[in-house]
Amino acid sequence: MAKVYKDLREFLATLEEEGQLVRIKEEVNPEPDIGAAGRAASSMPNGPAVLFENITGYKGSVVTNVHGSWQNHALMMGMPKDTPTKEQFEELNARWDKYPVPPNVVSREEAPCKENVITENINLFEVLPLYRINEQDGGFFISKASVISGDPEALDDFGRQNVGTYRIQVKDKDRIGIQALPMHDLAVQLEKAERKNEPLPVAIALGNSPLVTFMASTPVGYSQNEYEFVGALQDGVPTDIVPADTAPHLMVPAGAEVVLEGYIIPRVRVVEGPFGEFPGSYSGSRLQCEIQITRITHRTDPIFENLYLGMPWTEIDYLMALNTSVPLYKQIKESFPEVVAVNAMYTHGIGVIISTKCRYGGYGKGVAMRLLSTPHGMPYSKIVIVVDEFVDPFNLEQVMWALTTRVLPHKDVTMIENAPGMPLDPSSNPAGMTTKLIIDATTPVAPEPNPRAVELLKDPVGTAKYTEVIKGLMQAMGDK
Amino acid sequence: MECPRCDSENTRTMVKSPVGDVWEVYVCEDCWYSWRSTETPVVIEKFKLTPAIIATLGVIPPIPPLDL
Repeated sequence: MAKVYKDLREFLATLEEEGQLVRIKEEVNPEPDIGAAGRAASSMPNGPAVLFENITGYKGSVVTNVHGSWQNHALMMGMPKDTPTKEQFEELNARWDKYPVPPNVVSREEAPCKENVITENINLFEVLPLYRINEQDGGFFISKASVISGDPEALDDFGRQNVGTYRIQVKDKDRIGIQALPMHDLAVQLEKAERKNEPLPVAIALGNSPLVTFMASTPVGYSQNEYEFVGALQDGVPTDIVPADTAPHLMVPAGAEVVLEGYIIPRVRVVEGPFGEFPGSYSGSRLQCEIQITRITHRTDPIFENLYLGMPWTEIDYLMALNTSVPLYKQIKESFPEVVAVNAMYTHGIGVIISTKCRYGGYGKGVAMRLLSTPHGMPYSKIVIVVDEFVDPFNLEQVMWALTTRVLPHKDVTMIENAPGMPLDPSSNPAGMTTKLIIDATTPVAPEPNPRAVELLKDPVGTAKYTEVIKGLMQAMGDK
Repeated sequence: MECPRCDSENTRTMVKSPVGDVWEVYVCEDCWYSWRSTETPVVIEKFKLTPAIIATLGVIPPIPPLDL
């Protein structure tokens, strides 16, 4: 049974034991120190989480880069920290099939997130050490929140309850802006409320167990509940949830550090942004929704968990890497069992590499078109590379080999114009419209002709043996 | 106090530091830019706002019609 963390604190303890968390005890300024540390840590090969214990003018602590390396990602899964990326993908795939694992609903008294309650004179700055993440951000952003909302037409339908990550700008002591793009589940629910001019209740959970945060940023179906996936990814161990106080149909993670409760103000849009976004550029100001906070519950001495995002890769990329790859893989595998793996780790699946065996001519292109018609692939994926089943899509050197030796551009490169795109992709024009690119880097199979079929090189007999011999010799040298 | 982004004077102190009296956060009530007194905000030209620009900003998500 894999190690499972009940809350953020348990995960931070493991990260520290494994040498993947550092503490900064000296007093630091909110700007630019916390953002800079997040950038620095995520640029390091084994980037640790960074816990700031003393921030000028604030009571509490901030932790950043908690998910910001493959080592931390593996530990999140309860795997050894040196587990290769593809093995983490395979493990995620296996656990994904345990869905649904219903969560465990605990009583209010059992939920640490209810230890303290604030209902009057709400001041977010008293609870959260807020800071500007990037210099041109229009304010202080909460970048790693799990936002819980329900479907106004089916409040008791747990499946349709959404747990999602949305960017949040602090507008006042008790009011925040939120970005709900039309393709996101929150926008679907908001539209139903706004058609009736009704507020949409929301709960915003900060500082969660690592797989709750991970699932909140995973694209799953509208009627699939994220908490039931958390149990699956926790290898069958249910996650603990508790009803929100102001909107009991909304379930929040029982171990959250902080829960903000309130509602989206209906039919109001106010200036939000700019914000340094995951494609590595700022998205400018727009008129976006606002949330009135009416209640805060929090653990004693809450830890504010937030992430840095900037020029990829940064922490956010680890939260939209394998959890973008797995659902896309599952969806196309269902139609085409020859698909071996999907690497959709690049800019939230804007770039995707699919590895597949080809059953007949044109198969690779067909598989790419299937990916482009999945719920996430349709708006997000723009560049799809298809490689043979023996090419590891997570090994970019192998992918480049396939591109350089399998592709005859005039027949293997296809463009589909005037297609849906991700609005935050600055190359989409107008925002949200793009051209899809498919590069079929698979070896032609019949009836497609392959007039220059080749014999691929194989590793000489004994290569595996010598790998071990050489490793041993290097280890011996290192020990001296 | 002038907003560093839209030059409006319609600004106020949003909050003072919870510990000590070491900083304040200001906010513009026209463009909702906010900044801390310990910062020296430099808003680049591309991100400056005016009432005319604000009036033409994109609306996300669109506000649907009311159900009758």
